[in-house]
Amino acid sequence: MDGNVIKARNLHYTYADGTQALKGVNIDIKKGKTTSILGGNGAGKSTLFLTFNGIHKPSSGEILYNGKPLEYTRDGLKELRSKVGIVFQDPDNQLFSASVYQDISFGPMNMKLPKDEVRRRVDLAMERTGVAHLKNKPTHCLSHGQKKRVALAGVLVMKPEVLVLDEPTAGLDPMGVSEIMVLLRDVQEELGLTIVIATHDIDLVPLYCDYVYVMDQGSILLGGTPKEIFSRPEMLRDVHLRLPRVGHLMEILKENDDFEFEETAVTISQARRELKKWRDMVTQSLR
Amino acid sequence: MYKLIFAIITLGVGLWANSVVTSLLIIVIMSWYTVRKGGIPLTIFIRLMMLPMAFLVIGVLIIGINVSEDINIFLAYIPVFGTHIGVSLSGLQHGIIIFFKSLAAVSCLYFLALNTPMVDILNTLARLKIPKLFIELMGLIYRFIFVLLETVDTMFTAQKSRMGYASFSSGYRSLAALAATLFVRSYKRAGDLYTALEARGYEEEINVLAEPFETGKTQYTGPIFINILLVLITLLFKT
Repeated sequence: MDGNVIKARNLHYTYADGTQALKGVNIDIKKGKTTSILGGNGAGKSTLFLTFNGIHKPSSGEILYNGKPLEYTRDGLKELRSKVGIVFQDPDNQLFSASVYQDISFGPMNMKLPKDEVRRRVDLAMERTGVAHLKNKPTHCLSHGQKKRVALAGVLVMKPEVLVLDEPTAGLDPMGVSEIMVLLRDVQEELGLTIVIATHDIDLVPLYCDYVYVMDQGSILLGGTPKEIFSRPEMLRDVHLRLPRVGHLMEILKENDDFEFEETAVTISQARRELKKWRDMVTQSLR
Repeated sequence: MYKLIFAIITLGVGLWANSVVTSLLIIVIMSWYTVRKGGIPLTIFIRLMMLPMAFLVIGVLIIGINVSEDINIFLAYIPVFGTHIGVSLSGLQHGIIIFFKSLAAVSCLYFLALNTPMVDILNTLARLKIPKLFIELMGLIYRFIFVLLETVDTMFTAQKSRMGYASFSSGYRSLAALAATLFVRSYKRAGDLYTALEARGYEEEINVLAEPFETGKTQYTGPIFINILLVLITLLFKT
């Protein structure tokens, strides 16, 4: 065991219509950490996620879960899917039931848990995600943000070890974005979850993620901590991504306006620290 | 559960009774329950009751009109090609009974539709041992009606804002495009839904936890009492 809960080696996947979605992906997901996968539209993020829980079987290459190759048998897949939970981008595709309560109970019922246990878990999951008051509302009356939470609850209720989220913040207002990210962080702390997020909301990455992979056209270009990744802005721009806004500002200040920073700052607090350092340096040299 | 039973028994009594008085009573009782207990605004309820009116009026008119050579049965008639078309007393009575009977039936169904969440109806059906496949299908269809409507609404607005319905011919074209896209989207969505279900361990059967039922005998006494009363009233007026 090397602390990686999921390891993918040289993954290839081709859709039935001939589209090559994955072309030799290598990726390590560290246990208990938050890993984000950055990539433009059509980079292959969603396809990659569906290989993680065995919905797509790679045409070549292998995936290790806790060091063991995935088993594509009925029982193997069942086991895997209770450990790797996917929250899909569009909650309307995930919520199939008209009742919030019943939808959330779907996963644990499939795990053949006793009814009391299911009921207890559903209540807990609804409380965690802050949707307990929506219990008796029909699904179609919920707002987009509420649907996303219910979808999340529907996966959390299965007590997965790895939580995979496809664009968890897409379509949410700024308040909703930070709420869901904080919620994820709390759940992670509480349950020791491993979280994998696909996103193109770059500003979130330095705030909430421990590791980043940059994906483009079916392969992984870069991997590392946010700091490592964001110190190579030219690579990001090549694949239609960018630095976080703050990072961009700091870059411009450094290159065009003669500011001197020791480190590349990509969050507000990092930038504040660097700017203060710079101010102190200037005032000292003026004395 | 008791709502379903109430609605169905009352519906049955209404159809059996075949009398204007019973039908009127049913309409009043059901309206009262729906508006008073269910909290549906009266104006909306009346508007809903008006919906089947157009069909009813036409239907009843046709029943009320007879063709006969004997002019004595008619209240009013016009001669046509040696025979007579007119309104007869029995036809008229028949028509009126059917008119109120239909309205009573409609009010029963509205009571059920407006007061009961779909989820409860599905739960009840499951308890009545209706095949699971039906219930799953009903549930999915119900859920995705709203998704479909939302999609239609968005696409329709998008088309309208680009002058898609400015003229008759462009309207035709837009509508065709809308229907086609909708079909393709639904198909894709079905695939996505399947993937999402699979990710949560779907195996040929949708298993969900039914919310616990609170059932009391008192729930059934009201509906049964009302229906016995209805039957008695009907018998009283028949004799």
